[in-house]
Amino acid sequence: MASVSGYTSLPGWLLRRVAGMVLTMLTVSFLVFAVLELNIDDVAVKVLGQFSTVDQRQAWLQENGYNAPFLLRYLRWLGEFITGHWGTSTYYREDVLTLILPRLGASGILAGAALLAIVPVGLLMGIIAGVREGSAVDRLVSVFAIVTTSIPEFASAVFLTALFVFWLGWLPGVSTMADGFHLRELILPVSVLTLYSAGYIARMTRSSMVDVMQSPYIRTARLKGNSMRRVILHHALRNALITPVTVIMLQIPWLLSGVIVVEVFFAYQGFGTLLYQAALNTDIDLIEACTMVSVAVVVFTQVGSDLLYAWLNPRMSLRALGRSSGVR
Amino acid sequence: MAVATVALEARPILTVEGLTVALPQGADRPLAVDNVSLDLRRGEILCIVGESGSGKSALSGAIMGAPAPGLKVVGGSVRLGEQELTRLSERAWCRIRGRRIAMIFQEPMASLNPVITVGAQIMEVFELHARMSPAERRERALALIRSMQLPEPERIAASYPHQLSGGQCQRVIIAMALAMNPEVLIADEPTTALDVTTQAQVLKLIRELRALNDHAILFITHDFGVVAEIADRIAVMRHGRIVEIGEARHVLTQPEHPYTRELLAAVPSLVPPAIDEQAVVVTPDSSKTVLAVSGLSKSYGPVRAVNEISFDLQRGTTLSIVGESGCGKSSLARLIVRLAEPTGGRVEVNGGCFLSLRGRELRASCRAVQMIFQDPFGSLNPLRTVGAVIERAAVLAGADRRTARARAAELLDRVGLPKEALDRRPAAFSGGQKQRIGIARALAMSPDVLIADESLSALDASSQAQILDLLRKLQSELGLAILLITHDLRVAAQISHRIAVMQGGRIVEIGPAEQVINSPQHPYTRELLESAPGRGLV
Amino acid sequence: MSVRYAWLKSLARPTAAIGALLVVGWLLVALLSRVLAPHDPLHSMIPLMTPGARGPDGAVFWLGTDALGRDVLSRLIFGARTVVVVATAATLTAYAVGISTGLLAGYFRGRVDTALSFFANVILSFPVLVLYIVIIVALGASAANVVLAVTFGSAPAIFRIVRAITIDLRSRDFIAAAITQGESTWRILLVEILPNSSGALIVDFCLRLGYSAITMGVLGFLGLGLPPPTPDWGGMVNEGRTMAFAFPHLVLFPCLALSSLVLGLSLLADGLRQSAGRMRRVG
Repeated sequence: MASVSGYTSLPGWLLRRVAGMVLTMLTVSFLVFAVLELNIDDVAVKVLGQFSTVDQRQAWLQENGYNAPFLLRYLRWLGEFITGHWGTSTYYREDVLTLILPRLGASGILAGAALLAIVPVGLLMGIIAGVREGSAVDRLVSVFAIVTTSIPEFASAVFLTALFVFWLGWLPGVSTMADGFHLRELILPVSVLTLYSAGYIARMTRSSMVDVMQSPYIRTARLKGNSMRRVILHHALRNALITPVTVIMLQIPWLLSGVIVVEVFFAYQGFGTLLYQAALNTDIDLIEACTMVSVAVVVFTQVGSDLLYAWLNPRMSLRALGRSSGVR
Repeated sequence: MAVATVALEARPILTVEGLTVALPQGADRPLAVDNVSLDLRRGEILCIVGESGSGKSALSGAIMGAPAPGLKVVGGSVRLGEQELTRLSERAWCRIRGRRIAMIFQEPMASLNPVITVGAQIMEVFELHARMSPAERRERALALIRSMQLPEPERIAASYPHQLSGGQCQRVIIAMALAMNPEVLIADEPTTALDVTTQAQVLKLIRELRALNDHAILFITHDFGVVAEIADRIAVMRHGRIVEIGEARHVLTQPEHPYTRELLAAVPSLVPPAIDEQAVVVTPDSSKTVLAVSGLSKSYGPVRAVNEISFDLQRGTTLSIVGESGCGKSSLARLIVRLAEPTGGRVEVNGGCFLSLRGRELRASCRAVQMIFQDPFGSLNPLRTVGAVIERAAVLAGADRRTARARAAELLDRVGLPKEALDRRPAAFSGGQKQRIGIARALAMSPDVLIADESLSALDASSQAQILDLLRKLQSELGLAILLITHDLRVAAQISHRIAVMQGGRIVEIGPAEQVINSPQHPYTRELLESAPGRGLV
Repeated sequence: MSVRYAWLKSLARPTAAIGALLVVGWLLVALLSRVLAPHDPLHSMIPLMTPGARGPDGAVFWLGTDALGRDVLSRLIFGARTVVVVATAATLTAYAVGISTGLLAGYFRGRVDTALSFFANVILSFPVLVLYIVIIVALGASAANVVLAVTFGSAPAIFRIVRAITIDLRSRDFIAAAITQGESTWRILLVEILPNSSGALIVDFCLRLGYSAITMGVLGFLGLGLPPPTPDWGGMVNEGRTMAFAFPHLVLFPCLALSSLVLGLSLLADGLRQSAGRMRRVG
C-alpha cells in the first residue's frame, strides 16, 4: 500500500527536491565523464591529432594526469567543474566558460522568442478546439497538430526556406547576425520551432479542456445560471489550463533540442551550433560543459514546473507532491 | 413519514406533459424518457424511483433544459408556473436556472469547482441573480452556510472542496441551490454517495428547509428506504415511462403495478428473518470454528486503521461486519486474505496459523479463504473468457486440465449461469451476472471461508436480492462460512447469523443478528439503526 | 463486438486510413527496394541532374541526381529500407527494456521502483538530442550505435507509461483475485497485466516508430548518423544543404519522404487511439 510521505512543508519538500537534483546532476556528470573519457588513447588522439606519434601521446597523457586511475580523474574533473574551471576548447582554443555564456544568451533569445509565439498560439488553438469538441474547427486543429508534430524541424526548415527564401524571396536564408541584430533573421528559426511545439501544446490543451468540460462541476456552474461564456472563462479555463501551463514549462528542455537543429540549419551563432561544432570535432571539454549546462536547465525547469503545478492546483497538497516527485 | 405541514396550493408550480427525450443512435432503446407527465405543487416532495437505466436522470436534465450530451428533447412540454420552458432560449434559461429552478447532484465533491473556494462559489449565485454589494454577498453567503447547520462558517467559506467531507460538500451545494429561494428544487440522487448517518442528516435538513420555504421538490432516487422516509407522492419509472404514480403511503403499502410490487419485494427488510426461516442445515460440525481472528491490527504511521479486532466464524454461518466508510472494514478483509500485512494480531484458519505462511506454503493454503469483490467491472480480467478464469482457479487449487474444465461447467451451473457463458468475455454480462462469475471463481478453490467485500453495493435491488438468495443457497449446500462486509444494515439483517458493528477501526458491538437489530447496546449501533431511512415502512 | 473487428473498423475513418496507406506504402517500398529502384544507389553517374532529366543512355532520373551523380530516387528508396530496419529495431529494443523495467517497477514498487525511476529520471534529464550527440560522439557513428542511442532515448518514456499502467491495473480487483488464489507473479505480470496494457502500448509503438525515424533523420542531418555512403534521408539533406538554393530537389524529396512516413505513423496512432477510447467507453 502507498506509504504516507511525511513532507508536508514547503521547505522540507524543496530540500528533498534540491537533494534529488544534486544527486541527478552528479550521476549525469559521472556518466558523461565515463562515456567520453574512459578511453584515454582516444582522448590523446583527439587532442593531438591523428598524426601524433605514440611517444607524443604518452608524454601528453602523463603530463595531463591521464595515467591516474579513473575515479581520481573523475573527482579532479568534478572539482574543477564545480569551481567554474570548465577547461579549454580544442577547436576554438578558448576558455570554455567564456565561450558558452554569450552563446547561451543568444539561444535564450531564440528560445524566448519562440515561447512568445508558441504559448498564445498553442493555448488559443487548444481552447477553441476543446470548447467546440467534435466540430470542424476541432478536427482542423487536431489534424494541424498531427501534421506539424510529424515533420522534423530540419524538414520544416527546408519547406519554409523553400517557400519564403527560394520561391518568394521574402526572408533571408541564414541568420548569422553577421552585421548586428536583425529581427528578420529570427523569423524563420522561430517559426520552425513554433510549428512543432504549438501543435503539441494545442493537443494537450484541447484534451485538458475536453475533460474539464465534461466534469460534474461544469454542469453545476451551468445549472446555477451561468452563461456558456462565463462557464468557460470563470470555471473551465482555471482548471483546464493547469496541465498545459506546466507542460509549457517542460517545453523548454525540448526547445533545447530543437534549437540545436534550427541553429545549425540557419547558421545562428548560439549554444546549439557550439555543441554541434564540439561534436563534429570531438572537443571533449566543450561537450562535457555543454551537456552539463543542458541537463542543469532541464532539471531546474522540472522542479519549477512541479512548483508551478502545486501553486495552481490547490488539490495538490505538498504531501502528494512529495510522494510523486521521486517518480515523475 | 413526511407530512405536509403547509396547506398545498391547488395549482401545481411545475407541470410536465408528454415529455419525450430521444437517445442517440445505437442505444438499447430509442427513447430515454417516453411520454412522461407529472405535476408538482409547492411544499410537496415527489420522489421518482427507478433502477439504473430507467431514465430518471435524463428526465431531470430535460426539465432543466440541459439534457446530457447526445440526448435530445423531441416532444412534450414543461411549464414552470405559467412559463413554457421547452424551446426557451439559452439566455432566458440563464435567468431561470439557479433562481427559480435549482438542482443538487449525486457526487457532491466532484460537483464543486476544485480551484475556487466554496464561499466564492456560493457568492457567485448572488452575483448572477441579485443586485448586492460584495460585502452583502459575503454576509448572505455566511448566513446561508450557518443555516445549513455547518459550524465555523468563515472557515468553511474559505475552504476548497477537497478540504471538506462529502456531507459538508453536499450541504454547500444545497446552500448554493437554495440561495435565491427557488420555487422548484430537483434533487438527483443527492444522498446516494453519502454514509447512512450523513444521509439521515441531509434528508432531515431538506425536510426542514422545505417546511420553512415551501420549495417544491422533485427527489430522484433508487433507494426505497429514502423514498419511504421523505416522499409525499411517489412516481415509479421503468424504461423511460412512469408505470405508477400516487400518494406515498398508498404506493408503498398497496402498490398497483406489478413492477412496483417487484421493486418493493426486492428491498431487503430491516427485520431479520426468524431463525427457523433461514434454511440453514445444521451439520454435525457446524460449531467448528473455521476462522479465528484475535487482536488484528494495522497501522499506517500514527493512524490505526484496524485496531485490535477479534472474532471467530463458524462453519455454515454468516457474520456481517457493518460500518460506514473509513471504519476499516475493507482493510480488515484485505488483512485476512493477506493482500496487506497486519502490524499485529493472529489469524487462524482451520486451526492453523495463517499469518506465518509465506511464498509457496501460502500459495498452497490460500484456497481456504477466498474473496469476492465490490466492483463487478473491475473484478474480472476483461480479456479472458469466463471459462479460462474459472478453470485457472481450479488448476491453482490442484486439479488437472480436464477436471478443471468439467469443474468450471459445474460451478457455472451452481451459480445459475448457462454453460455458454464459458466462452464469453465479461463485457457480455450484467453486474449481477459478473458477481456470480466471481462467486464461481472463488468456489473453484473449494474454500472454507468466503469473504464478500461490499459485493452487493454496486448492484440494483433486484440483483442484490438474487445474489443474497444464491449465497444462502450455497451456504446451506456447501457449509460455507461467509464473512460479509457491508455498509447496508438491511443486507446484513437478511443474511447474517451474527452482526458486528465497526467504528473507527474497532468492533463496538457483536452478537446475534436479531439481538443487534432489535436491542442494540452501543450508542453508535443505535445511531446507525435510527439513520436507516424508511425504517418501519419498508 | 470482438476486439479484432473493432481495430479494423477504426481504419475505416479517413485519417486513420490515410495513415495506414502511407505506412504500408513505405513498408512495401522498403521491402521491394531492390526491385523498385531504377539504379544502384551507390553508383555515381552524372552529377546534379534536375528531376525528370534524361541521361545519355536514355534512362530518366525522375528525382534528379546528387552532387556525386547518384540517382536521388534510388537513394530515397534504399533510404526507406534503412529507416524501416533501423527504426523498427531501435523501437523494439527500447520496448523490450521499457516494458520489463516498467512492469517490475510498477508491480513491486518499493526500492526496485525508486532505483529504476531514478535512472529513468537521470536519462530524461538530458535534452534528447544532447543525449544522442554524447552517445554517438563517444561510441562512433554506426547503425548499432544509432539503435543504442534511440533505445536510451525512448526506453525511459516507455518505462514511465508501462509503470503507470501497471500501477493502475495492480489496484484492480481482478489482480487482487489472482493474488488471493495463489497465482505466481510471473503469470500475473504476463497474463493479467501486460495484455491489458496492449491498447495504450500499440498506440505508443506507432508514435515511437515515428520518433525513431525522426531521430535518424536528425542525426543524419547533423552528420552524426549512419556513415556514408549508406543512403540515409537525413544524410541526404545534410549533403545537399549547401547547394539547396540552386538544386532544391536535393533536400526537398528526402524531407517529404521522412515527413510522409512519420505522418502516416501519427495518423495511424491517432486512429487507433480513438477506437481504443471508444471501446473503453462501451466496455
